Amino acid sequence: MRIGLMLQGSSCRALVLEGRSVVSVAEQRQASSLADALDSVLSSLALQFGSLITDVTADVGRVLAAAQPGDVVAVRISPRPPADQFHNTRLPALIEPAVTRTVHVRGGHDLRGRPLAPLDLSAFRLELPSILSGGVRNVAITAVGSTASAEHETRIADAILSNNSDMRISISSDFYSSVFRDRDYTAVLNSALMESGEELAAMLEEAGKRHFPAAALSYARNDGGRAPLARLAVAPVHALRPEPAMAILGVATLGGLCDGEVVVCADEGVSVGTIRSGLPVAHSLIRQGYEASLATNAAIVEPYTANHPVRPDIPSVVADIRTSQDTLPEHGLLPTLPGVRDLSLIGCAATPLTAWIDRLERVSGQAELQRVQHRAEEEASSAVVQLGASPTDTRIIESNVFAMPYGNPGIVRIRVRAAGGTSNSEENTLAAQALGVTA
Amino acid sequence: MSTVLTAEDVGHLRTGAHFLACAIDPTAIHVYAGMIQEAMQDRSVELITVDELASDDLVVAVGMVTQGLFIADMPPVGDEFTGCIEAIETRLGRKVRAIYSLAAANINGIIPLMVGLQSSLPVIDSDPMGRVFPLISQTTLNIGGVAIGPIALMGVTGERAVVEAGDPQRAETLVRALVTELGGWAATVMYPCSARQLAEHGVHGSVSRMIRIGQILDADTSAESKFLSLSDFLGVTRIARARVSHIEGLSRPTDLGLPAQPSSVTLVDETTGQIIRLEIQNEILLVLVDGAVAAAVPDMVTLLNSEHGSVASLEDLRVGNVVDVLKLNAAPQWYSEAGLDLAEPAAFGIPLKHPRRRHG
Repeated sequence: MRIGLMLQGSSCRALVLEGRSVVSVAEQRQASSLADALDSVLSSLALQFGSLITDVTADVGRVLAAAQPGDVVAVRISPRPPADQFHNTRLPALIEPAVTRTVHVRGGHDLRGRPLAPLDLSAFRLELPSILSGGVRNVAITAVGSTASAEHETRIADAILSNNSDMRISISSDFYSSVFRDRDYTAVLNSALMESGEELAAMLEEAGKRHFPAAALSYARNDGGRAPLARLAVAPVHALRPEPAMAILGVATLGGLCDGEVVVCADEGVSVGTIRSGLPVAHSLIRQGYEASLATNAAIVEPYTANHPVRPDIPSVVADIRTSQDTLPEHGLLPTLPGVRDLSLIGCAATPLTAWIDRLERVSGQAELQRVQHRAEEEASSAVVQLGASPTDTRIIESNVFAMPYGNPGIVRIRVRAAGGTSNSEENTLAAQALGVTA
Repeated sequence: MSTVLTAEDVGHLRTGAHFLACAIDPTAIHVYAGMIQEAMQDRSVELITVDELASDDLVVAVGMVTQGLFIADMPPVGDEFTGCIEAIETRLGRKVRAIYSLAAANINGIIPLMVGLQSSLPVIDSDPMGRVFPLISQTTLNIGGVAIGPIALMGVTGERAVVEAGDPQRAETLVRALVTELGGWAATVMYPCSARQLAEHGVHGSVSRMIRIGQILDADTSAESKFLSLSDFLGVTRIARARVSHIEGLSRPTDLGLPAQPSSVTLVDETTGQIIRLEIQNEILLVLVDGAVAAAVPDMVTLLNSEHGSVASLEDLRVGNVVDVLKLNAAPQWYSEAGLDLAEPAAFGIPLKHPRRRHG
């Protein structure tokens, strides 16, 4: 049995899932603190289910979104600093005040991984004492071309950590985007949320281990997967917006849909996503209009319109979660799951471990392309095993190669997603279907 | 008639520039549009027609030449284009009177506005491609015999060069090599010519066309209504509404010094079940429907999200997605013998003559 948790403010909700069946409906506890609410919910569920619980997965997105971002020092590495105010890197207005200081360092690489300028480490070392004495522990480092070579980012990080190992550092090459401002924004936001991520991870770990000592403890990620709590402290940005993905996964779980379309009719409108091999189809960015995008893999959930192409041969599930269901949903949709609740919690309880490989590779032809793609698939599978998946229960969800328009000839982007279940979990029904396994 | 552009015009231009080159990531356009709109708060940029200039006024094309790191991954410092204009003025001993876009689509469709704001030079509502092509030799000015050089280029490193090459193909080779070593893009100023030469051999109304396209696509109307408006305005036709079934990288051999590698996308028409194949290399070069040519470069092929009527980027081409594949004609110069020599499929390594050449 698996628990899905949703944390918000000083309240906690939980649901227990066995296979595709909800065995304990959502409990909500409000307390004087989030830790107390969590403890109360888990204590109650421990009494009911005890050691039957194998996995606990928490959606902490609402807590992170409400958290006050910590102050951040932004280190930007490029051959030259901006010549005027218009060419400065712009952060979205909500996070811009968190950056208390910006430091420019000469350096950066091209798409082939060759230095555009030598890293001016000596100039940075002159600035370092004032950074370290400034009282800000969070540092975000973004270099031009770090998708091709992270060397300059890691050397700056090493220079900081060798002087103060307590600094929290976020480097942009940990987040794939071919856009400098997207990586910069993501590294800054991630850095600003690291303290909150640490606190949440510690709180969940302590409560989870106390009530379910044998269970795997995870947090829900924006892509519809999960990862061990330890990762929440270093990459909280991947836990910021998991709810849409978890809702899609929750519908798919209830509907037994492994591949197809998921439609959710809510009070605020109808949305649609796609499930492939048991997981929501994901994009590598969360776009925010014309502002910088967040470089995190996230489920693609779009508004459903009257022009939505409908294909009878593609299976779909339509869930109706509207408060009042006296009338049919918009667009003549006929709910296949009427009156369902707690989709995100169901998704949290059902989600598998996921890992991504998203990087540039140099290839000279089809044969080499197949080799590097196969290698990336193997690495993605290994990565999901390292997260805790059983080696016999991993699968590749997607494996794509993208041409780079106007890029250097022979350089392609390889993007692979792997998923897996833990050996102590009883099963993930959709995963089992995707593997062709009968339950 | 000259027009002072507004922030709203820039917003629409952003959409129009993306529509005409949907295969390229639009982030750099978005970044530039934001910078331009901010800069316009205390200064203005003027859009003029080429016939408002004296016939011997010196005008230059401004544009990014790219091969390597994306512009959005290596943001310009801001002095690159003004540095290039200074270099050309020094080399020619004359003042530049106005600028025009190297290509009326994607990032180069919007860059002249920023350069106009920085330099106070007016922007001419003309360009030498009427779309975007990957090679700087693929211009209507080249077809008309206008010299490509001298070419000034400057990269984000601050390094600058002036290339003097009489042959446009040779100029392309030299500039491309410099661009690679500058990291992935260079701001360039090229095709310095008289206003009369641009009037005779350029494509006109390019900037205002992008703004009009943006007005149509940004409107709060249905996808079908947007398509009908585009059809009225540009003669756009819909080749297919089709679902992506397969994407293949490195799908064709390439050895022509073209930036990036080819890829192919297979789709299935939602209504007829016909197989649609897109051959892509930087832009969509060829569309086959059940093996027959439905569009071939220099025709422009672009994609719309069939549900929302928004421009679909190549990144939106995921297996299972449905898109409208649209075609529109390029400027008439491209269908001349000389134009097709420069820009038909064979120029991109696809052994195929354009249908208009075979039947023309």
